[in-house]
Amino acid sequence: MTEKTIELTDLRRLWDTYSEKRIGVIGLVIMLVFIVMAVFAPYIAPHDPYELYNPMEPPGPDHLLGTNDIGQDILSELIYGARVSLFIAFFVSIVSGLIGTILGLLSGYYEHVGFFIMRIVDAFLAIPRLPLIILIAAFMRPSIWNLVIIFTILGWPITTRIIRSEVLSLRTRNYVEAARMLGAPDSYIMIKHILPNVFPLLVVRLVVEASHVILAESSLSFLGLGDPTAKSWGMILHYAFMYPTIYISDVWKWWMLPPGLCIVLTILSLMFIGYALEELVNPRLRGMTQV
Amino acid sequence: MHQITKIAGYVTIILAVISFNFFLPRFMPGDPLSFLTGAPGMDMPIVLDEATRAKLLAYYGLDKPLLQQFADYMIKLMHGDLGWSTYYNAPVSSILAGRLKWTLLLIGTSTLLYIALGIVLGAISAWNRGGKSDVGLLLLLLSVGSFPPFFLGMLLIILFGVKLNLFPVFGAQSPFMAYSSPVEEAMDILHHLILPATTLVITHIGGVYLLMRNSMLNVIGEDYILTARAKGLAEWYILRKHAMKNALLPITTMIALRVGFMISGTILVETVFAYPGVGMLLFDAVMYRDYPLLQGAFLIITLVIIAANFVADMVYLRLDPRLRHD
Amino acid sequence: MINRRFLAVLALVVLVYSASVGVMALSVSAGTATEKVVKFAGDVPGGDWGYPSPFGFYPRGPGYIRMSFIFDTLTWKDRNGTVIPWLADSWEMSEDGRTWTFHLHHGVKWHDGEPFTAKDVQFSFDYITRHRTAFKWFQSLSYIDHVDVVDDYTAVVHLKEPFAPFLVDIAGNVPMIPEHIWKNVSDPGKFVDKRAVIGTGPFKLVKYDKEQGYYEWVANSDYFKGKPIIDRLISLSVNDAAAALLTGAIDESSFWGQRAKVASSFEDKPGFAVRWGPSYWVLKVIFNCERYPTNITAFRKALAYSINRTEIVEQVVHGYGITANTGLIHPDITGWYNPDLPDYEHNVTKAAGILDALGFIDHDGDGVREYSDGEKLEFELLTPSKFAREAELIKSQLAEVGIGVNVKVLDMSTLDDILKEGNFFLVISGHGGIANPNILQQPDWPGGTFKNETYSALYKEQRETMDPAKRRALVFQLQKIVAEELPTYALYHPRMCCIYRPEKLDTWFFTRGGVGIGIPIEMNKLVFLGEAKKGEATEGTATPSSPAPRQPGFEVVCAIAGLLTVTYLKYRVGVRRR
Repeated sequence: MTEKTIELTDLRRLWDTYSEKRIGVIGLVIMLVFIVMAVFAPYIAPHDPYELYNPMEPPGPDHLLGTNDIGQDILSELIYGARVSLFIAFFVSIVSGLIGTILGLLSGYYEHVGFFIMRIVDAFLAIPRLPLIILIAAFMRPSIWNLVIIFTILGWPITTRIIRSEVLSLRTRNYVEAARMLGAPDSYIMIKHILPNVFPLLVVRLVVEASHVILAESSLSFLGLGDPTAKSWGMILHYAFMYPTIYISDVWKWWMLPPGLCIVLTILSLMFIGYALEELVNPRLRGMTQV
Repeated sequence: MHQITKIAGYVTIILAVISFNFFLPRFMPGDPLSFLTGAPGMDMPIVLDEATRAKLLAYYGLDKPLLQQFADYMIKLMHGDLGWSTYYNAPVSSILAGRLKWTLLLIGTSTLLYIALGIVLGAISAWNRGGKSDVGLLLLLLSVGSFPPFFLGMLLIILFGVKLNLFPVFGAQSPFMAYSSPVEEAMDILHHLILPATTLVITHIGGVYLLMRNSMLNVIGEDYILTARAKGLAEWYILRKHAMKNALLPITTMIALRVGFMISGTILVETVFAYPGVGMLLFDAVMYRDYPLLQGAFLIITLVIIAANFVADMVYLRLDPRLRHD
Repeated sequence: MINRRFLAVLALVVLVYSASVGVMALSVSAGTATEKVVKFAGDVPGGDWGYPSPFGFYPRGPGYIRMSFIFDTLTWKDRNGTVIPWLADSWEMSEDGRTWTFHLHHGVKWHDGEPFTAKDVQFSFDYITRHRTAFKWFQSLSYIDHVDVVDDYTAVVHLKEPFAPFLVDIAGNVPMIPEHIWKNVSDPGKFVDKRAVIGTGPFKLVKYDKEQGYYEWVANSDYFKGKPIIDRLISLSVNDAAAALLTGAIDESSFWGQRAKVASSFEDKPGFAVRWGPSYWVLKVIFNCERYPTNITAFRKALAYSINRTEIVEQVVHGYGITANTGLIHPDITGWYNPDLPDYEHNVTKAAGILDALGFIDHDGDGVREYSDGEKLEFELLTPSKFAREAELIKSQLAEVGIGVNVKVLDMSTLDDILKEGNFFLVISGHGGIANPNILQQPDWPGGTFKNETYSALYKEQRETMDPAKRRALVFQLQKIVAEELPTYALYHPRMCCIYRPEKLDTWFFTRGGVGIGIPIEMNKLVFLGEAKKGEATEGTATPSSPAPRQPGFEVVCAIAGLLTVTYLKYRVGVRRR
């Protein structure tokens, strides 16, 4: 009973501190809009994004953002695009965060395991990310799940490194030493004492990773290595970029700008959230800016 | 001891990259021949008879067992021979050299610019913490930093290239121009460089700026800054003498880590601007299954990143004497 | 302090830069263009098509074309696709079609001044046959047995067996190379010397830059067909040909299919002109004829009836194309095109009827038919990414008749492998060369699951039939089999347009049947010899339009910005100090 109330007031206090940061609230609001867009896409979108109308219609009452090169409603594509982009981003950041946390905990707690894991991490970090993705993407058939796998594989090493360094410093804290002296099993110490302390850091990392994944997904789709049949923002941009008169006519205003801005806004909202969270996590920064 | 492990680590990574890069493309479906003889989907139907096919495979040494091919490749590599590109029909080293100069120019210029601007703006921001210029800079840089490089590039092309016609929209120099002087050539190259470099600078500046700002904020709270202020020293002097020096340390490591990001961004920017660098080459090499070129390009990119990390390590050692006797 | 100094330096750099750009802009506009220069670029990114020697170009149409400016062949094609004399003034064929005697043009010189003789002809055929792996463009060289030299201006080509398309595919395609240069070259692919681009052609290569995708040729003023009507020809790499045309970076480019829409932005623009032509290219669906159920001819027909080709032409290529000849040969090629073939006009009822009769019925009412064992009638439709749009449309069309389709996008090399292994049901593929009966050799190229002995025998027969009327009848039969058996269902032929600045050059034309062995491109070298203009009055340069001069706006803006920054900083610092 008492434990629960404490948690609630804790959350309450966290939220209060968080909401002091206007930047964080703005980010959260933008993100919520996109999440609503993704979840309720079928109800919000004016058309089925795969239905064909007259190609290359300029914006009008039927198609607020016009139609694309094969006559699909661009606005509906955009709304459905939120699904693909957000799904990949959140899924990858959570899964790679999970893997990264486990490996980070292990490598921070056990020195020899740590040495081994960190060498793998170094290797992963030394290989350029996008070139590697290009190579693998050509090897695997482009599909959403394959993108998820690629991004997860490439996402965990940074998380591992961050978590590890935090664990290394936590390990020497008095209460951890005390628990160990009292004969608590390693797994107990890790879950009960260390994990809660790395958690705030992890949340920041998840948010940052999510924004990286959105960028990576749109970049791959833009290069033509995504799934061309999936409606992601990057894919819409890819087709717009391929369209012959994109630079010389007004088409870009309703075909290129909106998906691009969607990507920008999503990344921006994640960055805002991440920024606000980081100030929460890093007490030294707290109160320095009242943004 | 520390250095030896580091170097051993680098060597292992390079070896791993080389073998990974050798075997993966060869396990990929398709081979260089399908693009050498009129690929489906684009061109003339040139049906290869078996005899010619075998001859071609033998010519490129692709008929030997995989392990022997690997051994041959490694031996050649030891002698500095990167092989002969199957698609581009030229030595890989000369293709890479021709392209690398443009990529390095693009990466080098934008790295210098974004670091300089990031540091300066970050310092300004931290010094005026909470003030209007801080908030403004923070919002502005976070916003422009959220632009995917390719999207920003496309916007710049439309606005500055096509609408205003101020900058050329493709390539690294105007090829049809007979330059009357080296200055003119440099100017032309610069003129072509501005839009792609701007794209890279804008999309990368946010990281350095934030880091600089945060570490400055950390430093500003320290006692010695307060002391300096109490002594009545000029603000800019304190900033430069104390605050900045200490804040620079974490930035060095960050820049090295950023080189990888930079290369990824460059691939996109080169695609958008048809800038003749290594990034586009790598993309083509995968498409054409040009094994030697793929290996060469990948190796070079990895070496650049490792070199950057190495340099960062060295600089770090110099800046932070505590680590020198580690 | 550091900030101010840094920004001051920055401002200075910007100032110096803007000043120099301004000066540069002036000097450029001051330069007078006395020579006629034409710059062109392809619509595809990357302008590098390899070193334009016969062994250095990438085996693609644009690569061959860039080589063909420098090297000549014995025969060539005019705008109507008629074979015309080129290096050879005339020729005779023996009764059995195995021996061809060529009488060469007198006084032809290589770019280095050496005379071109029958010995070079003999050497060229011999050398190229020996280095088949290096001359990747054409693989039917095995028909050549040997070449005899009768005198300096008479060469006799002996074939192993009669080869009906000889005059176009070999005599009009194999470039003549100088013996005195190539005789000592053992690995021609790696010979990228200046001497490797010495030919007899209308242009000489002066510059080639691989990284920039840049070619520059100058007119060969001693050309035996007369000096080209332009002095300099330049090919560059651009990221967007339409924008490059608009900004004046190039004078000509061509666009295909959906991309031909660009023409609509230029048709009414002063200073530009547009010319249209066919592309001799086909997009098709390849069926696996060895796998159930696509091995059933009736089933393939049902699929053909389900696919609405008109809709594809309208939606995907925006009308810049025509529904294809189901027998693959392009309808423009009146000599070979068989007009009496079934075209499987879109008919859902008919398709459904066939599927019902074959026992593919939707028992559970979920909109997808089932096999007799209850498994769903679903296929993967494999396509390279550039045809994903067409694939999406076909997916929705097949869904209407109850066939489930999953679109899988693969890269070209992967797809090539899958086709060779026969590991597919439906594949979308496209290729050129459909002006030439050769394409019928393997209608489901690059796959090969269609095995029909009558067909193969007919193909071989037409190849050896020298009588044009008889050969034509055989080619008609081949097309009929393709259209009725449907190893592949041809979808559409795109149209293409060439957009150019007439003040620079006005002679562009599309060659009927394509250049050489059928490259659909407006770059027949006759264009530069002014052939198309013969008899026409020169229109002159009536259209007053020149590329927009560089505007000084940017430099001014920069300078002002720089000054403002400096002033502002001085002010700020001053305020702080106070």
